Amino acid sequence: MRHPKDRSGLTRRQLLRGAAGSALGVSAAGLLAGCENTTEPIGAGGGGPTGPASKLVVAKPTGPGGLPLPRPDNAVTWAITSNNRPVAAGRPPERGPLRVYNYAAYIDPALVKRFGAKFNTSVQIATYNSADEAIAKLSSGQVAFDVIIGLTGSNIVDLIAQQLLQPLNHEYLPNLKNIWPELQDPFYDRGSRFTVPYVVWMDGIGWRNDKVKQDIASMDVPWDIFWQSQAYKGRVGILDDKQDALSMPMQRDAMRAGVRPDLNTESPAAVKHSQQELSELNGICNVKVTITDFQTLPEGSTVLHQSWSGDLLGAAFYYLPKGVKANVLSFWGPDENGVVQNDFLCIGRTAKSPVLAHRFLDFLLDERNAYQNFVDFTGYTPPQKAIDAQALISRGLIPPTLTKAVVRPDQFAANQELLQLSVEGERVWDNAWSQFKAG
Amino acid sequence: MTSRWTWRFLALPGVAWLSIFFLVAFYAVVAVAFGNQDTLSQPVPFWNPLDWNVGYVVDVLRNIWHGEQYLTVSLRTLEFVAVAMALCLLIGYPVAYFAARHAGRWRGLVLLLLIVPFWINYLMRMLAWINLLSPNGWGTTVLHDLGIERLFITLGLLSAPGGWLEGQQSTVILALVYGYIPFLILPLYAALDRIDQRQIEAARDLGASPASAFLRVTLPLSMPGILAGCVLVALPMFGDYFTPDLVSASTKTNMIGNQIDQLTRQGSEKVTGAVLTLLLAVVLFALMYYYLRSTRRAGMVETE
Repeated sequence: MRHPKDRSGLTRRQLLRGAAGSALGVSAAGLLAGCENTTEPIGAGGGGPTGPASKLVVAKPTGPGGLPLPRPDNAVTWAITSNNRPVAAGRPPERGPLRVYNYAAYIDPALVKRFGAKFNTSVQIATYNSADEAIAKLSSGQVAFDVIIGLTGSNIVDLIAQQLLQPLNHEYLPNLKNIWPELQDPFYDRGSRFTVPYVVWMDGIGWRNDKVKQDIASMDVPWDIFWQSQAYKGRVGILDDKQDALSMPMQRDAMRAGVRPDLNTESPAAVKHSQQELSELNGICNVKVTITDFQTLPEGSTVLHQSWSGDLLGAAFYYLPKGVKANVLSFWGPDENGVVQNDFLCIGRTAKSPVLAHRFLDFLLDERNAYQNFVDFTGYTPPQKAIDAQALISRGLIPPTLTKAVVRPDQFAANQELLQLSVEGERVWDNAWSQFKAG
Repeated sequence: MTSRWTWRFLALPGVAWLSIFFLVAFYAVVAVAFGNQDTLSQPVPFWNPLDWNVGYVVDVLRNIWHGEQYLTVSLRTLEFVAVAMALCLLIGYPVAYFAARHAGRWRGLVLLLLIVPFWINYLMRMLAWINLLSPNGWGTTVLHDLGIERLFITLGLLSAPGGWLEGQQSTVILALVYGYIPFLILPLYAALDRIDQRQIEAARDLGASPASAFLRVTLPLSMPGILAGCVLVALPMFGDYFTPDLVSASTKTNMIGNQIDQLTRQGSEKVTGAVLTLLLAVVLFALMYYYLRSTRRAGMVETE
């Protein structure tokens, strides 16, 4: 799943693309030593091809490197191996500098400055444009970071398979208790051994309520609006991400039928069907495929867009042109059976300041700091027990039309995360996406 | 002899540069296109041709043969580039002709104006057009006031008033023309400027009308410039992906470059992205070969 801050595509803010993939020589057998809940590895059993052909893809219900794919009904506890132990407890923080790897503009600089002052250190932030780029650079060994921000459950298998993360020592993370209980022990990383949550968001519909006549939020199936958008032709957009976009018709169909969809399905027929439904939008509204809705909705160049919740809040905070009020922006997201996602914080395996890195993680898990980061800068909801949408509205921080853009714990639990697929599953989705984007 | 070796020595850095940054890089694309992917969905290049895996190339060719998405975007790309190139020529030739033959003492200024667009980054110029062509933008207002908007709507090239950025193919083609036309004008200007005025005068003296002299003398003699200009605009247009992204973002305007960008940037089909890159390169090589042959022929005619 592409990240809201993924600016690897051409946008008005960032125009450069992610790095090309690099060939990775990872031994499946070695990787499996790091995993407790696993299935049969790719190529296991012997008798397989040799030479270059030994690297050929073999379809298995497993993820990259032959590791299990975490799912809500298949929680994974990643093993802590003898050659990659957490830092010992009770040590003082290193002098730094603390090296942080993050999406651009995805942490409040004032907060970072305050951390530096508190621990008498400097914080150096390097940015990446896409998760693919981040993982490729981390795995190349050319960059070493203490803290990595912004990767998700859809990257965890890649990160573990290539042993890019250092296990966490919870002695240094007392503020983890502030986080929603289900995210203190997520299914993709049982026991939060390698990751702790940063922010959450959901997929929904963003629109200009002064230009779209329909009351989208009260429709039986709000997703239907995209198939009824002839009047807004050329001003309708969907997210430029294969999983977000292709899972939208799946949600629509499931909502109509009153069933729970499998938004991580690898069934070629289901994905193909979804692609065909999505392709109907080409004729209906000449749909745009972008991730610039945070800018185009406030401007009015799009009036209806599939959106990430945090981008709508960001739009209200920062991107309103002169004379446009925040309450013209509306957001709807499903209470259940839709898409939610969780960014996490983690520590690089080659971290030079691991204790300081833990302190930084704990600093970001602090209630007040997380709140400041949310309302002063990112617009993305931290999964903190103390933050709720109603309180923010009553303080006048966000308009009532954007209430739904603040993700609630019950909503997070009843929706689904878009997760890493098997190698074959990924190709099924990629092919469908390629067909859709060809018009 | 010394002079000959000096020149060879001076060429060495350039040759080394091209070898490393073009040939090696290009061979890497070939090795990936004929390679495979590992269990982490990352491409595994097969450097030894004896190991080459043709599976991905065959898949893409089969996709094209069956008329699926890669054929759709290839044909659309061909159409966009052909129309944009023709428009570049239609618009650019008179400009180059004027600059070379009639600008007189203003020639320097005209040349400067032709080069000025190069001072500004291509993407910045495109971003400027997004503002100009927005529903309330100055560009939209001017096009409306001049009646061009109405003409485009009548011809079916624009779906609604002020809708230039609403995923229009015509906008993408015009943006391509705008972005690349200086690459056509400059070599054409150079070719026209080199034409010996006495040849045209001789044609006129022998009874040719101005139009006939142009068609029989100027146009044939400027053919190398036309070909060079067309190749110079066509090559980057074929690989362009950011122009449709910026001024349209509709799937109906995606070109082959958009598919390559998407496949190579993320996901599991990086090898397929390399195959499409390779196929596009083959087409461009063919175009280049045609250009070189044509210019050689033109050169022979000139010297005879």
